[in-house]
Amino acid sequence: MTWNFDVLPDFIFNGLSLGAIYGTVALALVLIFKATTLINFATGELAMLGAFLVYVLHMEQGLWLWLSMLLAMLLSAGLGVLIERSLTRPFDPEDHLPVVLITLGLFLIINAVAGDIWNYQVRILTNPFGKFPDWVPSVGGDRFVEVLGSRLKYQSIGIWVTLAVALFVLGLILNKTRAGLAFRAVSSNVESARLVGVHTGRTLGFGWAIASAFGTLGAVLVAPQLGGVNPNMMATILIYALAGAALGGLDSLGGAVLGGILVGLIQAVLVTWGGVVVFGQLYMSILQLAAAFLIILIVLLFRPSGLFGTRRVERV
Amino acid sequence: MSAPLVVVAKDSAEHKRWQYVQWLYLAGFLLLTPLVLEPFEIGKMNRALIMSVAILAVNLVVGFNGMLALGHSAFMGIGAFVTASMVQDENWDYWQVLPVVLIVGFIMGVVIGLPALRVKGLYLALVTIAQAAVFPTLVNIDELGIAARTGGPNGKGVSEEVIAPSYLEWLPGVDGARGGSAYRYWIIVLMLGITLLVITNYLRSRPGRAVLAIRDNEAGAAVYGVNLPVVKTMNFAISASLGSLAGLMWCLDKGFVAGQDFTFLLAIDLIIGLVLGGVGTIQGSLVGGLFVVWVNDLTKRISIPLGLYTLNGDGPLAKAIFGLILILFTFFAPGGIVSLARLVSSKLIKVVPLTPAGEPIEPLSNFDPGMESTRADAAVKLAVVPPVLLAIGWLLMSVNNLIVGVLAFGLRMTILMAPVAMLVGSNELKAHAAGNRPDSVQGPANMARLLGAAGTVFVIVYAVQRFVLNY
Amino acid sequence: MVDDVFDEVGLKVEDLHASYGAVEVLRGLDFEVAAKGVSVILGANGAGKTTTLRAICNMCNTSGKVTLGDDDITRTGTAEIVRKGVAHVPQGRGTFPELSVLDNLMIGAYTRKDKEVKDDVDRWFEIFPRLSERSDQLAGSLSGGEQQMLAVARALMCRPRLLLLDEPSLGLAPLIIEDLFERFTTLNKETGLTMLVVEQNANLALDMADYGYVIESGEITLSGSAEKLKNDPAVQEAYLGA
Ligand SMILES: Nc1ncnc2c1ncn2[C@@H]1O[C@H](COP(=O)(O)OP(=O)(O)OP(=O)(O)O)[C@@H](O)[C@H]1O
Ligand SMILES: [Mg+2]
Repeated sequence: MTWNFDVLPDFIFNGLSLGAIYGTVALALVLIFKATTLINFATGELAMLGAFLVYVLHMEQGLWLWLSMLLAMLLSAGLGVLIERSLTRPFDPEDHLPVVLITLGLFLIINAVAGDIWNYQVRILTNPFGKFPDWVPSVGGDRFVEVLGSRLKYQSIGIWVTLAVALFVLGLILNKTRAGLAFRAVSSNVESARLVGVHTGRTLGFGWAIASAFGTLGAVLVAPQLGGVNPNMMATILIYALAGAALGGLDSLGGAVLGGILVGLIQAVLVTWGGVVVFGQLYMSILQLAAAFLIILIVLLFRPSGLFGTRRVERV
Repeated sequence: MSAPLVVVAKDSAEHKRWQYVQWLYLAGFLLLTPLVLEPFEIGKMNRALIMSVAILAVNLVVGFNGMLALGHSAFMGIGAFVTASMVQDENWDYWQVLPVVLIVGFIMGVVIGLPALRVKGLYLALVTIAQAAVFPTLVNIDELGIAARTGGPNGKGVSEEVIAPSYLEWLPGVDGARGGSAYRYWIIVLMLGITLLVITNYLRSRPGRAVLAIRDNEAGAAVYGVNLPVVKTMNFAISASLGSLAGLMWCLDKGFVAGQDFTFLLAIDLIIGLVLGGVGTIQGSLVGGLFVVWVNDLTKRISIPLGLYTLNGDGPLAKAIFGLILILFTFFAPGGIVSLARLVSSKLIKVVPLTPAGEPIEPLSNFDPGMESTRADAAVKLAVVPPVLLAIGWLLMSVNNLIVGVLAFGLRMTILMAPVAMLVGSNELKAHAAGNRPDSVQGPANMARLLGAAGTVFVIVYAVQRFVLNY
Repeated sequence: MVDDVFDEVGLKVEDLHASYGAVEVLRGLDFEVAAKGVSVILGANGAGKTTTLRAICNMCNTSGKVTLGDDDITRTGTAEIVRKGVAHVPQGRGTFPELSVLDNLMIGAYTRKDKEVKDDVDRWFEIFPRLSERSDQLAGSLSGGEQQMLAVARALMCRPRLLLLDEPSLGLAPLIIEDLFERFTTLNKETGLTMLVVEQNANLALDMADYGYVIESGEITLSGSAEKLKNDPAVQEAYLGA
């Protein structure tokens, strides 16, 4: 194998947009980890379910795509609240095993139910950023613009803008609302949060809601790159997101996004090294997934709190 | 009937007799398996026992050390591929590969465990889940000759079948050709037995006790000078080594290994077996393996009649059921089947510990005429119900060749209940002779002993008949 | 034991037991805090003082009866108890290290819906200028004493009826302690805030309090007016360094 630098800018753009998606899913993981120190292994499947909700609302019921996305995010959020309330709240959050088992159980059930309804086939979902809208002046093509002699896809731009808007909204929610303040308080110190009258259970439910909504957003954005939605679509994405979250620091929201983007970039560079050019479709080379695993190992070895983690990771 | 059926003093002859019954059940189970089952069913049993070994490996970390390891499918895969490659390409014998597999697994365990176990929290879960997801893709890497060794996406077959040497022909179930699943069954049982012996001794050893201490109170263990990262990593490496052994057994049994056999789903199957059987108990791992394979098999068979989606006979139903099992057990039976079984057996028999002087610490009987007789009555029911079920099954079968289920169920119940009823009956009679029971107990107790003995004899005759038929 | 000592009872605790796992730490406490009064709990390290305050807020495994005014709050959740007007400054750091100083104060007013929250923040910044200078700094980066000030201010942000203080003087400079206790006294006099104080600094606490209890191994061994306790030889020897 050789380096193939001609296509590097292409892959960097690709990596940045994929990375943004990993960042979105990593955010969903970190939102729950921050508040509970638990990893929700059903994050990917919840996101997949959200993407299928969009599929049903948009492709089958004919609703406007963005409205479908909004509705699906709201429904996922509701499901997240329901799961938190009914399945995880009865357990002591200090005891990790039961809750991890519950999330693994959810992983299996959601995947199975989706598999039974939608049969593990890839179903095409409209790309929200397929073509530039008409009002954009044409600079190269209707799907991309030329930058540095490379094609910057409309899809990439769309993903970045969407993520930026979502992050802005998340920032507003967390920093400007009462519920957001309560969420940050619970993440910081559960006991003191109770002592100022915060209902920790409800606040965790709020965290689950936002996390589920973000997961759904990530799944919808990644679907066009996978050729559509299918019940197993999030399996590898979740691993990349986990790597991103570990790299950024499991308790840092900003770290999750940046970690996800970094993972996407590393992946892109690896593809360049492999010298394989696959346009339009997400190219899952063997080395890429291994790279995600290696990233996790290396982070743990040299910087367990991740690049941006704030909480001191306790050495045993 | 809240009082236990039988109360015995610890280490008394009575108690020993009950223990013999347990061992008899186990021996009977092991011996009858290759005799009674069809070859393909023995194959399933082999899979179950291999799963048990792997689940035991997971248990070592999750159940006995309190750390979350979710990726043992990868260790199984490593063991399986190393075995396949060495046996097929290098013409090694399985026994020669064994130490190699154990060492490779151990090293992998150290490499993965050390970074993850130095820090507190869910990091091991994070790493191992990634490891499980990555492993099937690693097998396909062309570089370094990996794909050539592993067979890449096509998988790797071992062409030479495992055949019993002529001096082992006599093993139950091994047929004239000296091959087949029955011989592999005996190898697997042997390996499982050795594993159990090693693991129980390990857990009783000094490092083993440190492992348990960490689970029970991590801070406390550290205070007593337990080197946490080292003990945890060593334990994880031993567990990985054991997981690789399960992989070797897999290769030995199936003669074919492929990357897609060792996915994250297998890792989850192991976790489910662990939870289903009982986290933190050795028996739990054994039971868990059986149940995982059994449920998987059952769902395959009922998916199509139920009109559920399937692909190559394999559908999402098993996943859904396993998911439900995980959640339901976590909520309602966190101790797994083993704790449920203990609940039942505590109704059946109560072992009263002894004082240092050798006396039972509480009286074996608080004589209460009204209550005591119910024990004998219950024993009679134990003895009567299974044969009745059996008889009904027989009758229905002769009328209409459909109800095989009742027959099989009755038979199994007879096997389980008859010896118990017999022992309870004679126990009550003895208590009566010692003046601890009212006279009214005599009738039912005699009846229980008689019927139980009859059932037991029937079971023995049945087993002998099957044995003779097979040879 | 001390039934009907006060005309009006702010907090009444009857037969309070608490345990961590199998270890019983509180073994049947009975005591009261007069409405608008200040009571102090004295006791050696490990006597169960902190546990008493935690038990009142239902933050550990308890049995017995706790009444706030006329409300039985024995089975009420911690968050709800706070909503009923109980503020608790826990021992050590009760702050939110990852939140800014300002946010710490804002979350202190989480249960309030009125418009005067901002005024209260300003008032506390006036009282503790050090906090005001660091209002955007993360609480985790404050010094121990600053955090203690923040914890007290945060607790009072909810405008409580009853204030539980667990060693508020811990780690503070003597001058600041005196200032702080003066403020507590003023608060008590001006707003009628009921207080239950756990303190190692018995002199200061007994000066402020009107009633006191001594806990030993989870049981109340001595109680009486602050004057009486101050003059009690046993108390003098054990807690006043006389
Ligand atoms: N979380 C806990 N788990 C187990 N035991 C505890 C816990 N917290 C406190 N204890 C025990 O309960 C007893 C009382 O503790 P408590 O904190 O109430 O003492 P205290 O009177 O506040 O002491 P100090 O003056 O040192 O703050 C101690 O023996 C302590 O070891
Ligand atoms: Mg204390």
